[in-house]
Amino acid sequence: MDYTFTKDQEMIRKSAREFFIKECPKDRVRELKDDPQAYDPLMWKKMVDLGFLGLIIPEMYGGMQGDLIELMIFTEELGRNLVPCPFFGTVVECTVPLLKFGTDPQKQKYLTGIAEKGAIWSLAQAEQVADFEAEDINLTAEADNGNFVLNGTKLFVPYAAEADFFIVAARTNKIGDPREGVTLFIVEAGAEGIGIEAMPTTARDCRGEVRFDGVRVTGDNVLGEQDQGWTILDTVLQHAAVFKAVEMSGGAQAVFDLTVNYARERKQFNKSIGSFQAVQHKLVDLLTLVDGLKYLVYEAAWHMNNGTSSRGLNSMAKVKANAVYHEVCHHGIVLHGAIGWTEEMDIGLYHIKTKAAQFDGGLSTLHLERIAAELEAYVPEYRKLYPG
Amino acid sequence: MNFLFGEKEERLRSEIREFVKENMPPDYIGNMFVEEESDEGWDFAMSMARKMAQKKWLVMSWPEEYGGMGASTWERVVLAEEAAYWGIPGLSMGISGTAWVGPTLMISGTKDQQDRFLPPIAAGEPDGVWCTGYSEPDAGSDLASLQTRAVRDGNEYIINGQKVWTSCAHLARWMWLICRTNSDAKKKHQGLSIFMVDMRSEGLTVNPLRNLVGGHVFNEVFFKDVRVPAENLVGRENEGWHQLMTALGFERGIAISFTASVRRKFDALVEYVKDAGLMSRPRVRAQLADLAVDIETARLLAYEPVCLAEEGIMNVHAASRDKANIDHLHEKLARVGTEILGAYSQLDYLHKDSKWTKLGGTFEHLYYYNVGMAIAAGTTYVQKNIVGQFGLQLPRSY
Ligand SMILES: Cc1cc2nc3c(=O)[nH]c(=O)nc-3n(C[C@H](O)[C@H](O)[C@H](O)COP(=O)(O)OP(=O)(O)OC[C@H]3O[C@@H](n4cnc5c(N)ncnc54)[C@H](O)[C@@H]3O)c2cc1C
Repeated sequence: MDYTFTKDQEMIRKSAREFFIKECPKDRVRELKDDPQAYDPLMWKKMVDLGFLGLIIPEMYGGMQGDLIELMIFTEELGRNLVPCPFFGTVVECTVPLLKFGTDPQKQKYLTGIAEKGAIWSLAQAEQVADFEAEDINLTAEADNGNFVLNGTKLFVPYAAEADFFIVAARTNKIGDPREGVTLFIVEAGAEGIGIEAMPTTARDCRGEVRFDGVRVTGDNVLGEQDQGWTILDTVLQHAAVFKAVEMSGGAQAVFDLTVNYARERKQFNKSIGSFQAVQHKLVDLLTLVDGLKYLVYEAAWHMNNGTSSRGLNSMAKVKANAVYHEVCHHGIVLHGAIGWTEEMDIGLYHIKTKAAQFDGGLSTLHLERIAAELEAYVPEYRKLYPG
Repeated sequence: MNFLFGEKEERLRSEIREFVKENMPPDYIGNMFVEEESDEGWDFAMSMARKMAQKKWLVMSWPEEYGGMGASTWERVVLAEEAAYWGIPGLSMGISGTAWVGPTLMISGTKDQQDRFLPPIAAGEPDGVWCTGYSEPDAGSDLASLQTRAVRDGNEYIINGQKVWTSCAHLARWMWLICRTNSDAKKKHQGLSIFMVDMRSEGLTVNPLRNLVGGHVFNEVFFKDVRVPAENLVGRENEGWHQLMTALGFERGIAISFTASVRRKFDALVEYVKDAGLMSRPRVRAQLADLAVDIETARLLAYEPVCLAEEGIMNVHAASRDKANIDHLHEKLARVGTEILGAYSQLDYLHKDSKWTKLGGTFEHLYYYNVGMAIAAGTTYVQKNIVGQFGLQLPRSY
């Protein structure tokens, strides 16, 4: 057991933190709320130049060849500073499956584009129910002479209007288990037959509906095997759960710090409000939640990096993040009083992301069920010692 | 960063499990305070303490000259986890000497005191059994306002007053006692001293106090002109508060064992749910999953102060954070567990061998005893005061 970081890892944290503080002060975050692009292309370019987009991409494809711990540190800082940009969708939801399941030519072509040019990628998975279950995937892909024709509608697609590429989850086989018969396609955003409409989200994070109306895709653009896409989506969801939880942990720490600092400074009844026991005990509860979330996401990310991860642990990280992010925002704002409920204070900028963050990587209903399924199969230590 | 234990620690873990297999009844679940509540419980605890002592595990982190093996912090963590998971009695409250009297003596005791008091503790002998005399009827959370007095008389001190809620006083050979030695001190936590008092002293009486379910954990202890040799004063006169804080730090650092014992009970609950065919119920599934998250989180939090200490950083408020966290976790596990047991949770744990009782009555026990645990060693609220004041550097709230 060791909770410390190496010097190199601390360096990554420091440079990420300094970059975000300089390039993305909270006033910029506020401006971006009213910008339909929902990110700053100049800042994105700087991120590309610093190698952030290629953090986990091998050197041979123009990346930094970092590991998932480095990604974790970077993502935590991104969440702490609240940086609106298509990093999560591009790196966690799309780079990961390209790396793990792409063919060599696909990797050569696409990973280089991400690492060196900052191509924006977006996973188009959710449909009407939007619960990350296989039954929700009904967009059809009909085979046509080695090519495919896509028809259907995706919802809540991250940075839909800004994306250069989509990874589209389509149904290629409707018979039997819905998990069998899903195929993933790499689709250029400019392809004919694609229609995009912005969805009005509270987070103002440029999500959209993407309609596929007879969109033609070549067989080369299948990611992984035909009909075997669900395995890939499952891998993506586990990564998304853990790394969205990491990002939320960074955000929760920031919200907590804002709140404790405010409680020290704000005076009522001639005392700092932090001296009132109701306030103090709530802060201690929030500290416990935030500290606990931090170590739980570290553990999940560490095991993922170490090749020893478990579905249950990955789900735990997301369940915890979904709960803690909400708690710390809600109570953090109450502890600020009315000023906390205005656009003026930074804490609100975090809170408006709550629902989007809970959705990305899966809601708690989905993950609680996954943990339960793992418990069902699990043999406790005492049964190993005393077989029933 | 590393979230696995090292080879050395894992080897110790397997050794302990072998030991458990040889020496513990199968499927045993340890319940808090159960050792001091019955004669069989106590005899079992003492016999296990001796066996642990033979292995040098009872006080494994102590230096060899005092019966330990100079074990590393992480080995001690593994022992604490395993002992709690398997319910090995003899390492907890009843034998509190191992947990805080010994460690505090090693810091503040004289050589003579260390030579006299440490070996019986390390050997798991009846003479090494201690109780802790802090609380009084009018001094609980506000411990520093305590009234029991010690007055110097030649080579002795004469003690008068009363302690209350003293766990294990009916079984202990020694008491770790705090009392007032200077009533004129400017502040109330000045002028206090710690003494080691022979429970067989003349003028000392122990009366049992029964808890709300009829168990006998704690007592009231009266001192009428009890004479204690001056050599049994720990540290310097009037500086007892300092020793007390050191000892309380050790006492509150119990989150690692508690998380492991919670895990053991949770495992039993999951197995029960499967066997009883309740695993298909969505509410039960969600409740178990939710608890699993809390337990894993509590485990990781409890390691934090250890990790930091290894880096030379003392994180004093973390023990209080984790004690409060465990208080909440106990309450939740007890609530969910008894809800799942349903009608059967109304059975009396004192009749744990009844043919109707499920899981040895461990959830009925937890349901009533976790309330006491949320008060012992400082209530949940008092722990939160400590975290607020010392961890978050907020002004004192009371
Ligand atoms: C099972 C058990 C075992 C114990 N074993 C021992 C033992 O071996 N030795 C020993 O000396 N003592 C022991 N105790 C006593 C224990 O340490 C005290 O009960 C505890 O410190 C609380 O003191 P009190 O009971 O006098 O409650 P009080 O101090 O009267 O508190 C009553 C309520 O007021 C709250 N309160 C008080 N002050 C504050 C404040 N400043 N801020 C917020 N809330 C406050 C408390 O949280 C509590 O809810 C044991 C207690 C139990 C239940």
